[in-house]
Amino acid sequence: MTTIPHLKTERLTLRAPAPSDFGLYRDFYADAEGSGNYGGPLRSDQAYQKLCADLGHWHLQGFGKWIMERREDNQAIGGCGIVHPIGWPSHELTWWLMPEHRGHGYAAEASRAVIRFACQTLRWPNVETHMRDENAAARRLAEGLGGKVVRRETFPDGVTRDVFVLPEPEPESAP
Amino acid sequence: MTVSIPTLTTERLTLRAPMMEDFAPYAAFCASPRSAGVGGPYSQTQSFTRLAALIGHWQLRGYGRWMVTDTATSEPLGVVGLFFPVGWPEPEIAWSVFDAGEGRGIAYEAALASRAYAYETLGWTTAVSCVLPDNTRSVALAERLGAVREGSFTHTDYGEMPIYRHPGPEAA
Repeated sequence: MTTIPHLKTERLTLRAPAPSDFGLYRDFYADAEGSGNYGGPLRSDQAYQKLCADLGHWHLQGFGKWIMERREDNQAIGGCGIVHPIGWPSHELTWWLMPEHRGHGYAAEASRAVIRFACQTLRWPNVETHMRDENAAARRLAEGLGGKVVRRETFPDGVTRDVFVLPEPEPESAP
Repeated sequence: MTVSIPTLTTERLTLRAPMMEDFAPYAAFCASPRSAGVGGPYSQTQSFTRLAALIGHWQLRGYGRWMVTDTATSEPLGVVGLFFPVGWPEPEIAWSVFDAGEGRGIAYEAALASRAYAYETLGWTTAVSCVLPDNTRSVALAERLGAVREGSFTHTDYGEMPIYRHPGPEAA
C-alpha cells in the first residue's frame, strides 16, 4: 500500500483523505452549483463512493488527491492532487474548494506544492491539466501557475479541451 | 494512516488486496452483462474508479472486499468480502464472480472465508447480504450459506433489495 505523504505550504496542509472527510465530500457534492464542474451534484452515497475512489487511486497509481486543510484552524476546505484513471488519455492536476473558501488563492497555493511534489518526488518532467472551455476559473488558475496550452484534445467523454503544461514552480520560502 | 489489507487463504483460493494488475480482468467483468447485479455495465474509466473504491473502502472502514484468485494459477476469479458504503442498511457480505470463476463454487468458498473473518477477527455479531431479487444465482448462494430472507430496503439506484441474514457467529 502506498503511504500518502503530507505536504505543507504557507497556509495549508495537504493530507490523506480520512473517514472524517465524508461530511466535506457530502456537502461539496450536494451543492449543484459548487460541484457542477466536478460531476456533481451527487447524493450522499455517491459522494461516499467518490471518497473511497479518491483514496484508492493512491494505491493503484502511487499518486492521487489530498485533502486541503487550513493550518490556522485545521479546517478541511477542499482537495487538490493529480489523477489519472485508466481509460483517460492523460493525467490531470485537479483541485476543488468549498464555495465559501474560493477566491483566497488556496487552490493555486496547493497546486504549486503538488506540482513540486510531482517534479521532485515522482520525478515527472512536468504536470498537465485540462478543463472545459467554459470553466474560466480553472483556466485562470492554470495560466496563473505559468501553464501553457500545448494541445487541444477530444476526451473519451466527447468533450474537446485545451491541455495545459504546468512548469515546476520556483521554490517557496520555508513555511 | 494506511490500512494494510490482510490475505486469506482457503482450500483453493487466495483472497488478497485488489491492485493495478487486476484492472484488465476486473474491467472485463464490469463491461460484461455479469455486472448487471452491481449496476453495470461500466466503462473503462468507471471500472478504474470502482477498483479504486474497493481499496478506499478498506481504508475508510478497516475492512472491505478482496480480489479472489485461484491459488494455483493466480488468476483473478471475482470480488468477495465485506461491504458497508453509505446508503447501505448495515454491513454485508458481498460477492461478484468473473467468467473465469463461474460454476466452481468460488463465491461460496470465498464468502465463507469472509464471514469467518468478520465474526472471528472483526467481532461482528451478525451479517447480511443484499441481493437483487432477479439475481437467482446469488439468491441461491445466500441460501446455501444458510442466510434467511428478512425484509428488504430500497436503494435509490437498485430499487428494492431483499436482505438475507446469515447465521450468527455461534451457528455459522
